[in-house]
Amino acid sequence: MMRVAFALARREFVRFMRQPQRVIGTVAQPVLFWLFLGSGFSSSFRAPGMENVSYLEYFYPGVMLMMMLFASIFSSITIIEDRDAGFLQSVLVAPVPRLAIVLGKVFGGTAIALVQTIIFTLAAPFLGLSLGIGTLAMLMAAFVLTSMGFAAMGFFFAWSMRSTAGFHAIMMVFLMPLWMLSGALFPIEQAPFWLHALMTINPVAHALVLLRDPFYLTPSQMLADQRYLVALAVTLAWTGLCLAGSMRRVEKRERGVKSAG
Amino acid sequence: MALSSRSKTEFMITIEHLSHIYPGTRKTPPRKALEDLSLDVRQGEFCILSGPNGSGKSTLFRILCGMVLPSAGKITIGGHDLFAAPAEARRLMSVVFQSPAVDKHLTVAENLRLHADLYGIGGAAFNERLDEAIGWTKIKDRLDEKVDTLSGGLARQVELAKCLLTRPQILLLDEPTTGLDPASRRDFVHTLQELQGQRRMTVLMTSHVFSEAETADRVAIMKGGRLLALDTPQTLRAGLGREMVVVKTRHPEDLEKRILAEMGWHTRRHGDELRLPETENGAGLPILERMLELYRDDIESISIKQPELEDVFIHLTGRTAQEIESETLEGVAP
Repeated sequence: MMRVAFALARREFVRFMRQPQRVIGTVAQPVLFWLFLGSGFSSSFRAPGMENVSYLEYFYPGVMLMMMLFASIFSSITIIEDRDAGFLQSVLVAPVPRLAIVLGKVFGGTAIALVQTIIFTLAAPFLGLSLGIGTLAMLMAAFVLTSMGFAAMGFFFAWSMRSTAGFHAIMMVFLMPLWMLSGALFPIEQAPFWLHALMTINPVAHALVLLRDPFYLTPSQMLADQRYLVALAVTLAWTGLCLAGSMRRVEKRERGVKSAG
Repeated sequence: MALSSRSKTEFMITIEHLSHIYPGTRKTPPRKALEDLSLDVRQGEFCILSGPNGSGKSTLFRILCGMVLPSAGKITIGGHDLFAAPAEARRLMSVVFQSPAVDKHLTVAENLRLHADLYGIGGAAFNERLDEAIGWTKIKDRLDEKVDTLSGGLARQVELAKCLLTRPQILLLDEPTTGLDPASRRDFVHTLQELQGQRRMTVLMTSHVFSEAETADRVAIMKGGRLLALDTPQTLRAGLGREMVVVKTRHPEDLEKRILAEMGWHTRRHGDELRLPETENGAGLPILERMLELYRDDIESISIKQPELEDVFIHLTGRTAQEIESETLEGVAP
């Protein structure tokens, strides 16, 4: 099954790399966001408990999350394109496990997100952030887990969509807000009560903890920190749920009804 | 047809009492697409499925490739129950869809390898089968080119080559020649039949192009979710029991007017060809003789034409070519 999944994932990745405008678009946009917003807000930004953190630095893990979100959105849109083009049909009639079809897309989206976030990690030293081998490994693990979660979430929504326009709506009213309210743009602590509540129940906010902590804590500190462990559990849970949900959707075959009455 | 009394082994595809009703939504009532359809395709046969839009042939196709579960009925593929043992049945089949299922951003070779991976054909087995899958094609020298750069006809060859990699016993094709020019279309069907002969495949293909149906072993004609006829093209044409006299002339317009004025016959003009009204079998010859007597000097050639499959189709479905295009099934009231 893994062989099928990897073959499908390789296709996603090769396709992505062959479309230079997509590569540039998905890398450049978050970087521009980061540089412009980060520099612009730097003078006015003071987060409680993070007084000596510039906005450029605060926003840094948030941009990583954004890259994963974008990679997931793009790979989800390819589901709709594949269905339109007919490619998806030929995969569906092949004798392959349905989970392999989900994992193929998810791994593909994850690989694309990884290339971007790893390149982006190279900016860390310029912010004065240092990473040890242990923390780097934990950061990479967070990249993989969160990207998979996002990719699986995108898959879940895109599967039943017949047009990219419909998916754009989901993206704008659901996926983007998940990112905006994750603490990527502003800290949870300062938000008004209702927003604070929304942000606390947002599973993506927990993924951001996994991305931010490696820059400030050692692996042993992280693993001893209850907040980190909760974040890890929540992220694992939504990734797993999205994968399971996606698989159920792929497994479901259209069925005729027994009578017209 | 007493299906159960026949030996099942000579059939590759057996469809028994298949019915399908699409579930309705809040706004649309449920729609009956197939009604008690029984049909079998013999081993090694080239069978074409035709019918107007909405006749249920696409629904039948989707059920056959296992993408949709029917409301009722049974399908056996090479002895395996398609609904009870889909994996075994799927292994015997390869499917060519109407819309291209190759990834145009990938090269020909990458597409073939991906397909092989989906069917668990790895390394050595892949190399071994590659030759037999593409040996007949014009793409064998263009393996490293992106499918994007190939013509429509060649892209279809990639599609077919991809299917052959899995050494299917059954090939299902859904309007595979849609979008091809007439020459590529003829090539495709010709190649398909050659491959079928060499590899003893059973082919079931939907088509609305009558010239393609003429070359099939048997033609199934569907309408309104039912099977109207299933027979060889020759038998179907003969069954119509009609013929017509066709005249070729240099001045079709003049002759058309004169025939109408002098004989009172309404002819139909096709280019430089005039078709006289259809008659019963055997009645054509006296007409031909009369035409020669009267218009010998204007006639370049004259013949008695047997009906074409298109005529059979129009006769059976009661639809003209234009109506066939626009026809859809009516909804069933809930």
